[in-house]
Amino acid sequence: MTALTAVRPSPSTIRQWWVLTVRVIAPTLRNGELLIAISLSGVFTASYYVPLKQVMGAFVHGSYAQYLMPVIALQTVYFAAMSAALRSATDKVDGINRRFRSMPIPVMTPLAARMSGNVCRCAIALATAILWGYVIGFRFYRGAEYTIGFCLLVLLIGITMSFVGDLIGMVSKDPEATTYILLLPLLILGVLSVGIQPAEQFPGWIQPFVRSQFNSQFVDALRALAGDATGSAAWPNWSVIGPALAWLVGVGVIAVPLYGFVLRRRR
Amino acid sequence: MRRIRDRGSALPTTENSVIVRGISKSFGDVAALRDISFDVGRGEVIGLLGPNGAGKTTMVDILSTLTRPDRGHAWVAGHDVVSHPAKVRRSIMLTGQQVAVDNMLTGQQNLVMFGRLQGLRKSAARARATELIREFDLDDAANRRVDTYSGGMRRRIDIACGLIVRPEVAFLDEPTTGLDPQGRQSIWDLVGRFKSAGIATLLTTQYLEEADTLSDRIIVIDRGTIIAHGTADELKERTGGGYCEIVPQDPRDLPAMVDALGSLLPEENRAELTVASDRIAMPAPGGANTLVEVLRRLDSAHIALADVALRRPSLDDVFFALTKESAPHAADRAAADVVS
Repeated sequence: MTALTAVRPSPSTIRQWWVLTVRVIAPTLRNGELLIAISLSGVFTASYYVPLKQVMGAFVHGSYAQYLMPVIALQTVYFAAMSAALRSATDKVDGINRRFRSMPIPVMTPLAARMSGNVCRCAIALATAILWGYVIGFRFYRGAEYTIGFCLLVLLIGITMSFVGDLIGMVSKDPEATTYILLLPLLILGVLSVGIQPAEQFPGWIQPFVRSQFNSQFVDALRALAGDATGSAAWPNWSVIGPALAWLVGVGVIAVPLYGFVLRRRR
Repeated sequence: MRRIRDRGSALPTTENSVIVRGISKSFGDVAALRDISFDVGRGEVIGLLGPNGAGKTTMVDILSTLTRPDRGHAWVAGHDVVSHPAKVRRSIMLTGQQVAVDNMLTGQQNLVMFGRLQGLRKSAARARATELIREFDLDDAANRRVDTYSGGMRRRIDIACGLIVRPEVAFLDEPTTGLDPQGRQSIWDLVGRFKSAGIATLLTTQYLEEADTLSDRIIVIDRGTIIAHGTADELKERTGGGYCEIVPQDPRDLPAMVDALGSLLPEENRAELTVASDRIAMPAPGGANTLVEVLRRLDSAHIALADVALRRPSLDDVFFALTKESAPHAADRAAADVVS
């Protein structure tokens, strides 16, 4: 062996993970993405709350802010998932993934770094959503452990969707297109859920779909965990939280092996 | 060359940094590579020359552990690419056809990031980045985001990121595709430095001029098969002698020249002449002797000449001749690629 290889430093996996995580997070803070995320979430909250408060509020027991909070939290973390997709697609299309695979970097490290960045994004998204929620009058009513439960569930949903976003990015040929692939199911189905109005307000033929689709299950669980002033919110037992968790497990069971397949495909 | 026994341990004892033996790879029904064998010595630059779709990138992918071969073995820096990919990755640099750096970061930040990914401490990575920025003539752009760079600068930072820790073997996959002449020249200068640094370099290109200028040896590959292998000179020899070019002072003399040359001028060169022609190009199998005979005949026909030249075949001539041998339609495809 030549002297050249002998003097090569030995890269540590932890340091590589850290360097790649900073790479993902730093531009978010630097280029105003964070500011955009915060204001977008605000615009979003206002555009649902202000016009719908009078119309929908009439069909809802208790405060409409309380009613609306879960869907605001969900849509804010969904935006984080879209950024995740955009990031992973950009890395793929730019050839960065290919380059990393030719370097002494374990195959899972870039994914782990991107997911770490996604966890940060989701945490920021959650904090932002709660901030705006408080502005319109949302409050947690069930004490610390259920409040933590609410936050953890939102994070878990965000992380799961970011993982799906990352996967979509990995197989896409066009970074811009990935955003639309996620926009449809997440935002449209967000509106077609019990997040904004009760299922009974939808036409009869679509009500079964509205009630059982994943956004409604998430909303039901989050609403129960947050509670409300009038006591009309369901108690957060397993029959309310269970379906939401089952959806997440279901998505994971499909997405994780699919991701493994995508990573190995080129071999 | 010693016979290779089995994968992993049985590395032929040579000075070569890259050893390829009988590599084949198919994607579905398409045979991308068929029984490819070659070596790259330390500090040697090998040009892998071929049209689009010839299998150049697949070869680079296999050697840089991105793809597994179906058959055959390859060693890079002494490590088997299939059984010890991690060791191979620690010894190589790869720049693909597209620039693969983080566009959101500055040139300097990219260098530091790649240095740290290679295991350098922050201070060492910074120091090395500063060195490379100077060496690659990127001082003015070091603190600008890479997405503001010109094509040539992007290529330079891309290659610099691969050199932050010195590789033993470098794979440059079409490093000048899409660059203007100035950008191309700057990359050519860099490849020259690879050679003096003792880095074995495998360079793929579809530009004959590039292979001719940069490579110690050239491997011509078409449809997954090596169709020729040797130095540029050796390849030029393969198409036989040179050409001579005769330019009359008055183009209207061309018919008289054709008559005077008679049997010396082959039928196919005669057929190439049109009313717009201002010169005759013809093979000179006897080299200078042919040229002397041409001049003697034209002199006795009293034709005044503006210029005569004896030239050896260019690599282009060689390439077209070789790909024509390999398959007629492949030559057409190559021609289309070179033109486009």
